[in-house]
Amino acid sequence: MAGMPATDDAYYRTAALVIEFRNVGKIYKSLLGNSVKAVEEFSLTVIDGEILGIAGPNGAGKTTLIAMMLGYLRPTAGTVEINGLPARQYVERNGIGYLSELIAINPKWHAETALVRFATLAGISRSEIRQRVGYVIDLLGLDEHRNKKVKALSKGNLQRLGLAQALLRDERILVLDEPTHGLDPVWTQRFRDVVEELRRPDRTILIASHNLDELQRLADRVAIIDRGRLQRVVSTGYENTAPAAGTRYRVTLASGHDLVRAVFPQAEDAGRGEYDVTVRSIEDLNAALADLIGRGALVASVVPERSVLEQQFREAVGESQ
Amino acid sequence: MSRVSSLARYSLWQFRDFVFERGVAILIIGFLWGYVLIEPLRRSMGPAWNGPQGTTVFGIALQVSSAIVSLSVLIALHGIVSSDRKLGYYRFFFSKPVNHVLYYTQLFFVYMVGVVASMLVLSLLLHTVLPTFSIPNFLLYTVLVYVAMGGIGFFLSVATRYDWLTLAAVWLGARMLRGLYGPRNDWRSKLVEVLPPVHKLDAVANSLIGTGTAHATDVLWLFGYGALFFALGLVALRWGSLAD
Repeated sequence: MAGMPATDDAYYRTAALVIEFRNVGKIYKSLLGNSVKAVEEFSLTVIDGEILGIAGPNGAGKTTLIAMMLGYLRPTAGTVEINGLPARQYVERNGIGYLSELIAINPKWHAETALVRFATLAGISRSEIRQRVGYVIDLLGLDEHRNKKVKALSKGNLQRLGLAQALLRDERILVLDEPTHGLDPVWTQRFRDVVEELRRPDRTILIASHNLDELQRLADRVAIIDRGRLQRVVSTGYENTAPAAGTRYRVTLASGHDLVRAVFPQAEDAGRGEYDVTVRSIEDLNAALADLIGRGALVASVVPERSVLEQQFREAVGESQ
Repeated sequence: MSRVSSLARYSLWQFRDFVFERGVAILIIGFLWGYVLIEPLRRSMGPAWNGPQGTTVFGIALQVSSAIVSLSVLIALHGIVSSDRKLGYYRFFFSKPVNHVLYYTQLFFVYMVGVVASMLVLSLLLHTVLPTFSIPNFLLYTVLVYVAMGGIGFFLSVATRYDWLTLAAVWLGARMLRGLYGPRNDWRSKLVEVLPPVHKLDAVANSLIGTGTAHATDVLWLFGYGALFFALGLVALRWGSLAD
């Protein structure tokens, strides 16, 4: 997000507050007395205009957190508030654009009818319903499927229908749980464009995903959770993050292959004009690249072996285990 | 547009769901049940059907029709809350600005209208072969059973995933326990007094469908019991979790 210091704690304390998790815990208890801690002492503030990613391995507690944020589950400890209201109360008053991980829509309904129903529940006026439904159908390429029954839709089309119902209203908060699950590469890319279009200073978007690359591209910050605990909050920008010593990059050259060893003596040839190089700092990397280019090589791309997020995720989840 | 008015608009969709998912089944089962039990009797009795044995004929029709009402309420109410939980439909419904307690309250009453409408169709059919059968009295009885049995069914649907089975077990269990321990004068007979007043239904069915009147205490017991459990269901819905 332009102008927003993603790692400045003071900024998050003073900005217009939207969603606040305070020492939230959730324990599931069975009738036999067994209990499972799904979330423990989770505290996080999410502000206006932010896209927050939630990453974690399977069973980390991502979906439980979202269910508490929508008021579907009551925390066994702590509170979840949205704009100062208990979460459920906020949702009942204002609504939230929500795409769940499992798209549960009555299979007998037709795609367009389902959207009209959700629009009616969402409080969209009779005169606007056709327009809004038409808009989301166009936006998500569902035109040819509008008269199909939900049970006849493919996984990808069902996912798009789920996203369409989340976008029916101009919501201030969007919560997307595994939004690209089942989408083909074209629609995965289109989804990213849609999210970028949805970014607004007065809108907060939460995206829970296993796909770290997706979160790296879309989110401003990513909360990494594991075993129900917040492990760390990571800024996805490179500007505030010095790469760890010994970071590996893949350098692709269009020409000047014979010059690589002169600049990166330890470079490993990965084939097809690609070389894996290890540097001590980002300054060293830039100096070496400048040298390489100065000698006449044409650099096509430089990609870190692991993104900032991947690096942090490995550390956070690895540490907790 | 207010949240309440948009929810009220949604009642048309709820009624449509009732018609296709429950109403048609109620009509088919009710018609077949009534036809199989009543039509052979009518044929074998010939002119006596409308003659001196009219009271017996009416008694049989009353038994059949009251049983159909109970079954219809069971069909109408099954999974009214629990299905949305089991199937996950609540997720998209209640991410909208909707109060889920109001949503299910409205659904309960929409289904009541649906059951009454279904019983109207069936009673019109019965009326063509048995003109002494009072349609208004029968519909009044339907409303009473819906509240009495449906109130408990609603509570069970909030409290458990297997509401249909539990309601049937509670209904039959109360009847059996009252038969076993009701006549005694010990702690067990006092205990069965607090069970659902299923036994009162027979007397109320006879008098309400037959004459349009019934003992006020019986009606109040049935109505009050159902209304109390319906209210408890709403409280559980308000303070419980929507998700499993």
